[in-house]
Amino acid sequence: MIHVSDDIIIRTLARILVPFIQLYALYVIMHGHYSPGGGFQGGVILGASMVLLLITHGYGETKVRFSERGAVIFSSIGLLIYSGIGTLCLVFFGNFLDYGKLSTLLQVVPAHARSLGILGVELGVGFAVMAVMFSIFFDISTSGELPVDE
Amino acid sequence: MSVSSVLSILFMIGGFFFFFTATAGLLRFPDFYTRLHATGKGDTLAVLLALIGISIHEGITLNALKILLIAVFMFLAQPTATHAISKAGMRRGLEPWTKKEEEQ
Amino acid sequence: MVMTTFFLGIGVGLCILVFFVLYRVVFGPGIFNRVAAISAIGTKTLVILLIIGYLYDRIDMFVDISMVYALLNFIGTLAVAKYLEMEGERK
Repeated sequence: MIHVSDDIIIRTLARILVPFIQLYALYVIMHGHYSPGGGFQGGVILGASMVLLLITHGYGETKVRFSERGAVIFSSIGLLIYSGIGTLCLVFFGNFLDYGKLSTLLQVVPAHARSLGILGVELGVGFAVMAVMFSIFFDISTSGELPVDE
Repeated sequence: MSVSSVLSILFMIGGFFFFFTATAGLLRFPDFYTRLHATGKGDTLAVLLALIGISIHEGITLNALKILLIAVFMFLAQPTATHAISKAGMRRGLEPWTKKEEEQ
Repeated sequence: MVMTTFFLGIGVGLCILVFFVLYRVVFGPGIFNRVAAISAIGTKTLVILLIIGYLYDRIDMFVDISMVYALLNFIGTLAVAKYLEMEGERK
């Protein structure tokens, strides 16, 4: 299934559309507090853009941009961001994920610190979901062995 | 009834007409490739007209620009999906329908 | 008032058209007819979502949802087409 598509129409259109899909996914993550969206939905759209690149260009070209080992590292980075912000709130004498206590570190009003804390957590969740979607699709479609078109 | 309302009604009626003919083609055509003609072309034009009709009704706001962006994306993506599925049918060996089979 | 009734009529008409296409999903001989019909249903659902957003006077929320649905419909159809093409070559 992960095989270079020998049709120039599909390859060209996938190459045109993937940056705009990723930009839209970033918009969905950032506007989670106001319109429908948030971390999980934006992460799914980011993962779908990576899957589009994988089924039209094969694994050789996708490996330059986002390999399978990179997916494992990226999901760990997403979890680190989420837990890191939560533990940072613990250090400043608050509860876990109590963003208001971060205002002394960033030197803003507590309401602004809560908004920035939520944004950071959503980014972490988005990264983790994207890496997991890519990894699930890759493992199921190659059924454990590496694809043989290099 | 301002001019924008009348224009919006006209575009929506055109979009609904093309949706109706595309569905009629999908049900009544005799073969897979002919049905792809009906739904690939008719549905794309109908979505374009319907989205332009909705965006004219909103006026010049941010939402109208976003709806026009959806229309551009559908204009690029729907024919590509039709092309991909018809090429898959060709590779698997689906035979096109010829009129000689019908007469016998 | 006139525009609300008109959009409601168009929305109900599109729902009836979706039921007609559902016949091709159930009874289409083979899988290719079913995939083409699912793509057609997705296109009609996009317009129905925007009309519902207009009727509830919250169109800025439904525009984002319909854009995501257009994206997922496109990628889903491409993935299914790729799978059907590759399965034939391996046999």
